[in-house]
Amino acid sequence: MTQGSRLYFAVTVLMCAFVSINGVGLNDLLERASQLSDKLHSLSTSLTNDLDSHFPPVGRVMMPRPSMCHTSSLQIPNDKDQALKIPEDELLSLARSLLLAWSDPLALLSSEASSLAHPERNTINSKTKELQDNINSLGAGLEHVFHKMGSSSDNLSSLPFYTNSLGQDKTSRLVNFHFLLSCFRRDSHKIDSFLKVLRCRAAKKRPEMC
Amino acid sequence: FCLDQCFIFLIFIQIKMVPPGKPRLTSCRSPEKETFTCWWEPGGDGGLPTTYALYYHLENSETVYECPDYRTAGENSCFFNKNDTSLWVNYNITVVATNALGKNISDPVEVDVVYIVQPNTPENVTAVVVHDEQGPFVRVSWEKPRTADTRSGWITLLYQLRVKQEKDKEWEVVGHLYNILHMLKWSKVAVVFYIPRERSLWIMITIFSVFIVLILTWTLNVKRNSVKLCLLPPVPGPKIKGFEKQLLKSGKSEEVFNTLVIQGFPPTTDYDELLVEYLEVYDNEEQELVLDGKDLSEDCMKSKSPSDSDSGRGSCDSRTLLLEKCMEGREGSGSGSDQHQYSQHGETSWASTESSESQGPEPGSPESADGCGKTWPVVFSSPQPQTHHHYQVGAAKPAYHSVPEILNHSSPHTTPSNYHQLHHQDIPQQEGRFSKPACRHSQSYNQFNLDGVGTPAPGVPPSPSLEYVEVQRVNPENMLLLRPLSDPNREPEGLDCAGEDYSKVKEVTNNILLLQRDTSHQCVDYYSQDLDNQADQCTTQQPPHPCKPAVHQSNSRMPHEGMRVMGNGYVDSTVLMPSY
Repeated sequence: MTQGSRLYFAVTVLMCAFVSINGVGLNDLLERASQLSDKLHSLSTSLTNDLDSHFPPVGRVMMPRPSMCHTSSLQIPNDKDQALKIPEDELLSLARSLLLAWSDPLALLSSEASSLAHPERNTINSKTKELQDNINSLGAGLEHVFHKMGSSSDNLSSLPFYTNSLGQDKTSRLVNFHFLLSCFRRDSHKIDSFLKVLRCRAAKKRPEMC
Repeated sequence: FCLDQCFIFLIFIQIKMVPPGKPRLTSCRSPEKETFTCWWEPGGDGGLPTTYALYYHLENSETVYECPDYRTAGENSCFFNKNDTSLWVNYNITVVATNALGKNISDPVEVDVVYIVQPNTPENVTAVVVHDEQGPFVRVSWEKPRTADTRSGWITLLYQLRVKQEKDKEWEVVGHLYNILHMLKWSKVAVVFYIPRERSLWIMITIFSVFIVLILTWTLNVKRNSVKLCLLPPVPGPKIKGFEKQLLKSGKSEEVFNTLVIQGFPPTTDYDELLVEYLEVYDNEEQELVLDGKDLSEDCMKSKSPSDSDSGRGSCDSRTLLLEKCMEGREGSGSGSDQHQYSQHGETSWASTESSESQGPEPGSPESADGCGKTWPVVFSSPQPQTHHHYQVGAAKPAYHSVPEILNHSSPHTTPSNYHQLHHQDIPQQEGRFSKPACRHSQSYNQFNLDGVGTPAPGVPPSPSLEYVEVQRVNPENMLLLRPLSDPNREPEGLDCAGEDYSKVKEVTNNILLLQRDTSHQCVDYYSQDLDNQADQCTTQQPPHPCKPAVHQSNSRMPHEGMRVMGNGYVDSTVLMPSY
């Protein structure tokens, strides 16, 4: 075999290998993404529980309405029938939009966690940092998924977060921290749900996964 | 007596009838994330029949709805079916208890359906004891709850097996299984996991390394020569530069010997002095340039054409001679003028002599009148010019110098007259032959040379030889008339000494070679004598051209180093001439 044909053969083999791996790769990517989103949600739930353990009763009265969350404007499916009708790329775009909307607020939470007027401050601080890392990993992973899925359009919704301070006094800071976290907990559940639907939608070759 | 008893009886009746107690929502639960149910407990009916109503409103609206279904889930419950269930939105639920005396409202509860998901129990859970060669083990099997929609991924179930022996109080968690297998083989240890992710990673790594290996092999193969060279460098063998075995095979010994000849050997010192330049007739490049006729302006050299009929008169400064000739050619000088415009060699002189006789004053003659520009012909020059300017081909000392292709002196002996005739004949022919306007003379000269003299053996470099000339006299035009020493017509030395003797080089300054007229009988002289006469002649005559050095490049260095004074007082400059 001449050198040129040998090279071509090697390239062809490699490309075939990559193509076959890519077919599996999307499933693995979504599997990994859904595991990350699950972790995100469970982290936020445990954070909420930590905060609730020593929450002043007046705080519950002061707590803003959940409709005040900065992501409430995003149109999402409200039940299973609606959600299962949404195409995959739109599901992915919803997940990515939500994820993107929380990168700045989480940075704020992370910076405020260390000075929180709460006895569980250290635990809260470390969990918040972990939350931030996970969100970044998931964002990168969803980028890969997006490119793998080969969607034509990238219609991410913009959900800006304009607040840059949780408040002046420690009580309002605590209350606002709790409120932001609650918004995030819900959005993390949305992301997790969408990604798990996406995962089972893509895993047609392996029905035992779903 | 009746009054007291009646009083007590009345009091008892009034306490019993009160409004209902405050109901309390105990729990809400969604088994599949599609419906949910809320339960409450009544607070007390107050002795009267009490009805309960559940009211709710969603977080982003004020519209209050009442519970759609009080029956499906049982007593004191509210069931929200699929249509009434919205996810990711808070339900504000309250229960109102009403009786005849009043009503009571429970505390509101905020519920988000997704947070109250609690799947049903697995179905058909069976545990069977199986006997194996390894021992008895328990096989547990189950099915997923019917209501859970794991197929679409709407909910994800994680199973956990716990065991405890009958007498134990606590359950022991045996294994976790993420969603897939519904059967767990349990023998106190076994845990089954499925991790597809790592396998595909290994596959990718393997493919990548194979690819890298293939690329390396291919690259090495392509570059195997250079790799071999790097690892096993070749040992150089003995080799003569320019020497090829093919030449030996071809049998032409001359070519072989030619390659062995080293150009530039024997080494001569580098003399760029005035005298060297002065004496040197021409060098290769200039000659060729002239022949080509290309670079007339700079490299063309002219030879002055002494129109004197005397032999030995030849002012041959290589460069200027040729240049002037070329200029003349450009100006469309006459045909005959070319004849005497052979630079550098004594040939010029004799040629010009001949032509001048026939043609009268030549365009070159004015240059003769320059006087100062004249120099002597290089020793180099040609076979000795005689008084008649005949070349003696094959003379004892052929005076060719350094231009092998042009000057051939191993040519057979021909009669001077023939030679001369040839020359004359050739010239007109060649004038017509060479259409190049300038420096025709040079070309014809060259041609002449080749034709008339014959061709030497190819490739054999001419032996560097020299022709000693002596200054015969200085004519009124400040022209040095030179005469080869081997000229038979030359007067004996002694007589020369009696007369004017300009063959002593006084000094070389400013590119001027100063000769001294030696009137003494002593011919043995050295060039260290004064040479004022020459300079005076220059100034008095006021030649049209300034007394410029004939030599273009030279330095003020005294030519002593390169010169070897012969016994007869003449300067032997052969050693100075670079070999071409």
